[in-house]
Amino acid sequence: MEVKIEKIEDKTMVVLNGRLDTTNADKFQQDIAPLMQGDAPNIEIDCTDMEYTSSQGLRLFLMLQKSVVARKGNLVMRNMKPNVKEVFDITGFSNIIRII
Amino acid sequence: MWFSKSFSTRLSLNVLLIVTIFFIVVLGIVAVSSHLLISEEATRSASNILKANILDIEKTLQTVESTVKDASWLAKENKDSEKYLYHITQKVVDENSNIIGSAIAFDSCYFNGRHFFSPYSYEDPETGELKSKELGSVENDYFTQEWYTVPKESGQPYWSEPYFDAGGGEQMMTTYSYPIKDSAGTIYAIITADISLDWLSKKIDQIHPYEHSFTTLLSANGRYLSAGWQANLASETAFTYAEKLDDPRVLEISKNMVAGDSGTMRFWVGSKLSFAVYGPLSNGWSMAINCEYGDVLERSSQMHMMLIIVGLLGLLIMFIMCYFKIRQLTQPLKDFSASALNIAKGDFNAKLPEVKSKDEILQLHDSLAYMQQSIVTYLEQIETATSAKKRMETQLYIGQKIQEGMLPKNFPNDSRCSLNAKVIPAKEVGGDLYDFTINDNRLYFSVGDVSGKGVPAAFVMAITRVMCHLFADLGLSVQEIATRINNSVAKNNDANMFVTLFVGCINLETKQLEYCNAGHNPIIVIPPDENPYYLKAIPNMAVGVWSGFEYKSENLDLRPGTKLLLYTDGVNEAEKADKDQFGEERLLQLVSKPNFRNLNSEDMVSAVYSAVTDFAGDNEQNDDITIFAITI
Repeated sequence: MEVKIEKIEDKTMVVLNGRLDTTNADKFQQDIAPLMQGDAPNIEIDCTDMEYTSSQGLRLFLMLQKSVVARKGNLVMRNMKPNVKEVFDITGFSNIIRII
Repeated sequence: MWFSKSFSTRLSLNVLLIVTIFFIVVLGIVAVSSHLLISEEATRSASNILKANILDIEKTLQTVESTVKDASWLAKENKDSEKYLYHITQKVVDENSNIIGSAIAFDSCYFNGRHFFSPYSYEDPETGELKSKELGSVENDYFTQEWYTVPKESGQPYWSEPYFDAGGGEQMMTTYSYPIKDSAGTIYAIITADISLDWLSKKIDQIHPYEHSFTTLLSANGRYLSAGWQANLASETAFTYAEKLDDPRVLEISKNMVAGDSGTMRFWVGSKLSFAVYGPLSNGWSMAINCEYGDVLERSSQMHMMLIIVGLLGLLIMFIMCYFKIRQLTQPLKDFSASALNIAKGDFNAKLPEVKSKDEILQLHDSLAYMQQSIVTYLEQIETATSAKKRMETQLYIGQKIQEGMLPKNFPNDSRCSLNAKVIPAKEVGGDLYDFTINDNRLYFSVGDVSGKGVPAAFVMAITRVMCHLFADLGLSVQEIATRINNSVAKNNDANMFVTLFVGCINLETKQLEYCNAGHNPIIVIPPDENPYYLKAIPNMAVGVWSGFEYKSENLDLRPGTKLLLYTDGVNEAEKADKDQFGEERLLQLVSKPNFRNLNSEDMVSAVYSAVTDFAGDNEQNDDITIFAITI
C-alpha cells in the first residue's frame, strides 16, 4: 500500500494506491500517523487506486475517523472501487465515514 | 615431509624464488658486463703488444737496413776490388747477427765484363761458419730473381717476398735489397742482406699473450713470413688460408692487412670465438695477433663459477634461516588456530596465546578475544530470548486451548436441526467466533469476526462469544443481542476494535428465521429445491464502533430441509499466491453443486474448507477461517 500525503492550503490530500491487508496494516498505520495530529484537520482521501482493504484496514480508517471527529475536523473518502465500497457498506462504516 | 606445505615453507620458498631470480639477474649483468670489460681490455692489451712488437721488429729490420746502407757506401768506394767486396759481404753478416747472408750482385758485364759477379757471404746453416762464394751461376741466375729485379726496376730499396734460397742459404728467407747507383743515377749493383724466416718465426712466436694465441707476419703481398703454426711458408698465403677456413672474415682480415690497415676483428675458428688485432710495419709488412676468447675469459669464468657457488650457498643458508625465522614468527598463528578450534568445539573461554608484539598478531589476538566475548554475550541473549519465546509459546498454546474450549463442540443433531462448525485461526489464537444455543424451541446462532488477529482479537472474541451465549440463554431478540453487545464493546474501546457479527434465531417449529447482520458477510441460504442465494440484510453497523447505534432485525420464513452456510471473510478472501481471492461468486458456485446439497452439516463444513485450502494452495493463510453450517 502506497500512501502519499500532500498539504494544499488547509486541506490534506491523501492518495492511496494498492492493497491494504494484514501484511502491510502496521506500515499503513505508521504512514497515516501524521494525519492523527493537528487541530481541525480537513482530510480528503483519494481511493481511486485502492484495490482492497481487510478488516484490519477498516479498523485503521475507524481510528482515523474517530481521531478527526475528536479534533473537530473533517474526513472524506472519495472514488472508492465497488468492491472496497461494499466492505464499507456491509460493515456499516459508510454510516460514520463520509464517502463520496 | 616434515615441512611440507606449511605456511613458513611456502613463504620461505617464495622469498627464495624472488632472491634467486634477483641473484640470477645480477649474476647475468655482472657476467655480461665483466665479459665485455675483459674483452675490451684484452683487445686493448693485444693492440699494445702488437704495437710494441711491430716497433721491435721494425727496429731489428732498421738495423739490417742501416747495415746494408752503410755497406753500400763501402761497396761504392771499392767497386773495383773483388777481394774487398767479398770482405764487405763478410762484414755485413758478421756485424749484424740478424743477417744470415749478404751479397753484392753486379749488373751483367759491369765488373770486368763478367756476366755474373756477385760476392756472397753466408752463415752455413749447419755449422754456423761464415763462408763466401760467387752467387751467380747459370743454375742460379740472380738476374731473374725478385730481390734483384724489383729494386733494379724501381730504384728503391726492397724487402723481398719469402722464398727458399736454393743457391745460397738453403732455407726460407727474405732479402733486403738496396740499389747502388753511379753518379749518373744508373743502378749497377744490388747489395742485399738475408734474414732467416726461421729466425723471424722464433722471434715472433715469442709474442704470446695467451695460451692459444699466435702471431702472424705477412709480407706486402700476403705471403707468410711467419704463420704462427706449422705452415708451408713456401706455398701458403693468407689468402689460401682464408680459403681453407672458408671464412669471409679471415679473408677480410687478410685483405685489410695487405692493404696496410690496422684494426680489430672477431671471427670463429672452428667452434671457438677468436679475435685478431693487426697493424702494418713501415716496410709494407703486416703483423696480426690472434687470441681465443676462451683464454681471455678463462679467469672471469672462474670468478663467475666462484660467484655461483657462493651465491648458491648463500641462498641455501638464507632459505634455512628464513624458514626458521618465519616459523618462529608464525608460531602464534598455530597457537591461535588451536585456540580457535577449541572455541569452535564449544569452549568459549578457551585461553588465547599471549602476544607481546604490537602487530597484526596482536590485532588477531584482540579480534579473537572480542569474538569470544561477543559469542558469550550473544549466547546469553539467545538463551534469554529462547526461553522468553518458549514461555510465550506456552502461554499462547494455553490461550489457544482455552479459546478452542470456549467454542461449543456438542453440535445438536436431531430431527429438528443439525449443526456443524469449524474455526481455523491464522495464528495461535484468533478473532473468529461462532456460537449456538437451543432455548426452548428456538435455535440461536451467531458468527463473528473481530477486526485484527492474535491476542488482542482473542480477548474481544472471548467476551463477544460469552455475551452471545449469555443473551441467547436469556431469550433476548437478535436485535437486542446485537445492541447490547455493541454498547458493551464500544464502551472503553480505546484500541478501536470492532466485530462484524451475524446473529440469527430460528423458531424450530415455525421455521421462521429472525436475523440481525452487524456488518458481517451475508450468509448463504440453500433452500431444498431452489438455487442458493446470499441473504440480503439491512446494513447495520459493525459491533463496537458506535455506542448507542440502533440495530435492526429482519425475518425470513424457511422451509424444512433448508441449509444455511455462515462464514467469515477468511473464506471469501482466501488468497492464492497471485492475490486472486476465493470470492463470494466461487463460494456460491460451490454450494450450488447438486451433490453439495445432499451433504450433512459436518460434510458441508469439510467440503467448503477443502475447497478453500485447495484454492489457496501453498499460500499462507492470512486470516482466521470460520465455517458454520446449519440444516433444519
